[in-house]
Amino acid sequence: MPGGIDFLVMGLSHRTAPLAVRERLAVAPEQVPTVIQQFGTLASVREVALLSTCNRVEVYAATPDPDAAIAALQMDFAARAGTTEAELAPHLYVRVDVEAVHHLFRVASSLDSLMVGEPQILGQVKQAHDTALAALAVGPVLGACFSGAFRVARRIRRETEIARSSVSISSVAIEYAKRIFDGFVGRTVLLIGAGKMADLAARALGGQGARIVVTNRTAARAEELAARVGGTTCPFETLEAALIQADIVIASTGARMPILTRELISSVRRKRRGRPLFLIDIAVPRDVEAGCGDIAGVFVADIDDLQKLANEHREGRRGEADRAEVMVEQEVARFLEAYRGRRVGPVITALRSHVLDVARGEAERVVRDLPGLGEREQQALLGLAESIAKKILHAPQVALKKGGADPIEGAAMIAAVQRLFELKVNDGSAGSFAERELPEDSSRAGAAAVAGSSDVEDVSGDRQKVAKS
Amino acid sequence: MVEILAYALASALFLGNLYAARPAGARLARAVLALGVLAHFVDIGIRCVALQNPVSSTPQAVALVAFLVAAGYLLASFKYRLTAAGAFAVPSSLTLLVLARVVPAEPGAPRMGALGRTHVFLATLGVAVFALAAILALLYLVQEKRLKKKRFDRTTTADAPLAVLDRLALRCVSVGFPIFTVALVTGAIWIARLGGISSTEAQRPEYLFAVAAWIAFGVLIVARIGAGWQGRRAAWLTLGGFGGTLFVLLAYVLRYAA
Repeated sequence: MPGGIDFLVMGLSHRTAPLAVRERLAVAPEQVPTVIQQFGTLASVREVALLSTCNRVEVYAATPDPDAAIAALQMDFAARAGTTEAELAPHLYVRVDVEAVHHLFRVASSLDSLMVGEPQILGQVKQAHDTALAALAVGPVLGACFSGAFRVARRIRRETEIARSSVSISSVAIEYAKRIFDGFVGRTVLLIGAGKMADLAARALGGQGARIVVTNRTAARAEELAARVGGTTCPFETLEAALIQADIVIASTGARMPILTRELISSVRRKRRGRPLFLIDIAVPRDVEAGCGDIAGVFVADIDDLQKLANEHREGRRGEADRAEVMVEQEVARFLEAYRGRRVGPVITALRSHVLDVARGEAERVVRDLPGLGEREQQALLGLAESIAKKILHAPQVALKKGGADPIEGAAMIAAVQRLFELKVNDGSAGSFAERELPEDSSRAGAAAVAGSSDVEDVSGDRQKVAKS
Repeated sequence: MVEILAYALASALFLGNLYAARPAGARLARAVLALGVLAHFVDIGIRCVALQNPVSSTPQAVALVAFLVAAGYLLASFKYRLTAAGAFAVPSSLTLLVLARVVPAEPGAPRMGALGRTHVFLATLGVAVFALAAILALLYLVQEKRLKKKRFDRTTTADAPLAVLDRLALRCVSVGFPIFTVALVTGAIWIARLGGISSTEAQRPEYLFAVAAWIAFGVLIVARIGAGWQGRRAAWLTLGGFGGTLFVLLAYVLRYAA
């Protein structure tokens, strides 16, 4: 981007990396601020936000030196995944500048989701933005890009049918269970952990006659969920006994390591005397160890399986997605124009004030040096200086406004003007985010400068929504 | 002849339905099968009048198995969603029926008597019921594999859930086992009455297989009802037991055909 600060995204998603790789990089929500701080210490990373969902782990950053930032982030990712850069490289993608904006817009609009049109992603992107904001890591570049993304996502939801008739994960899981079991009356559903989807699926299964049992490392949370879905609880220590009773298990814990290991499931299977067991694993990292699905009578569906099945269930959504893609293209173009216009603005202001200051200063000096001048003559002299300055400024101002929006020529023009007149432009993007004092204000100012003042309230409105949910 | 053509057409429709599952296709396949079963029933009636009743010779008994499998499947398919099972059941019936028509009746069939007829009839009935169990077990194994691989298309959803397939297979085995037991006993008595088992006859492999199949089904029933066995292992054991009884049947057919 002109002005020397680039926006970039680096990460991996369901398109590039299997669940087994993604889960090694997944960052738990409470860990995100810490990780953001760690990214902030990397040289050349000015602003940063981290988006970690079950489908993707992505770092959005603003940097004056993309190559250095990418190299540093790649190294950091490899270290986090406990692997080498070469091994991780095929799964990683990097997008810079326009491409990165385009990517963020598509992600926020749920066009890059495994289940295109699924509604959760926008909330997750907002959460990523807000967490970064709270960590003082969002500046004008990220602030502008994210608020642009929110606007696109809202427009697409409003103007296309993409979100309608979306098949939920829980309904697919129930569909799957119906292929195994002959109805759910008298079946036992065991919930491990307290994910939101577990809640939905449990209610649906409970409504069809299943008995719900909830277990959790924290007994209080188990009680709470059990009360919500109309089930009973059992202590986490008796997990094995509960597994012997259960027909369907919905696991959604935040544990780093699998809770339902192959060993545990094998030993449980013997005591179940071959009764089929369906393990629904909606946690990332996964709760069910790989290989459990090979055990006789044990069926495993993880989040990728369910999302793929959900996609197969939906038809005729392609047309809406295509329309949404076109909208993303339009919005990216609009955004870049506004963004670049914003980059030109401060330069023009600086140029104007520089030239006018010189003219006024010189005229005032002449007025001071000629004490015999009357009030009228003094005003005429000052006016003359100012109008000469304005006449001279007119042509470069128009040229900057016109040419500044062009990606290559505009950047060159801005750079040239800055050098020729030795202008110092304060655009708020200098220095790392750690040095900034009021990120909230600078971000809003950045967002406002791009989106126009009418959108400022809109942005804060989104924030309130996230806070409520 | 009509029944063979109808079974062949129904087989093609059921098999085609595996690739492009459509409700209309399944209905048509069932209608054609119903026609075949009716024609086959009439054919058996005519043969009874012509002194070719199902227990009069091995080919007629095999034709009866074909009829029972087709009719049993047809009846079950009214109550349960078993469209994919048709792709196993109907071609099996067709194969058996063609075999029955091609193979000549054994020359100078032994004097049967009431005991002999009872034995042949019960053995035939038992094999047919086990065949239905085996078809369900096979379907169970195929569907289980597809589910584990998350192959989740209309073919998978065209059939009853695994639990139902498993339960129906158990029911078939539970019905077939007593029938087969009586058939074995009557067969043993019959042979003893005919003059005892000569040393060479006792070594006929089909006797061994008949007893092995009986033991397999016995173990299966004990394991299922007593120990609550389900699923894949039960399905394999069902297939094994049926394989034994099928061998016995084919041994009779092919001995005289050769």
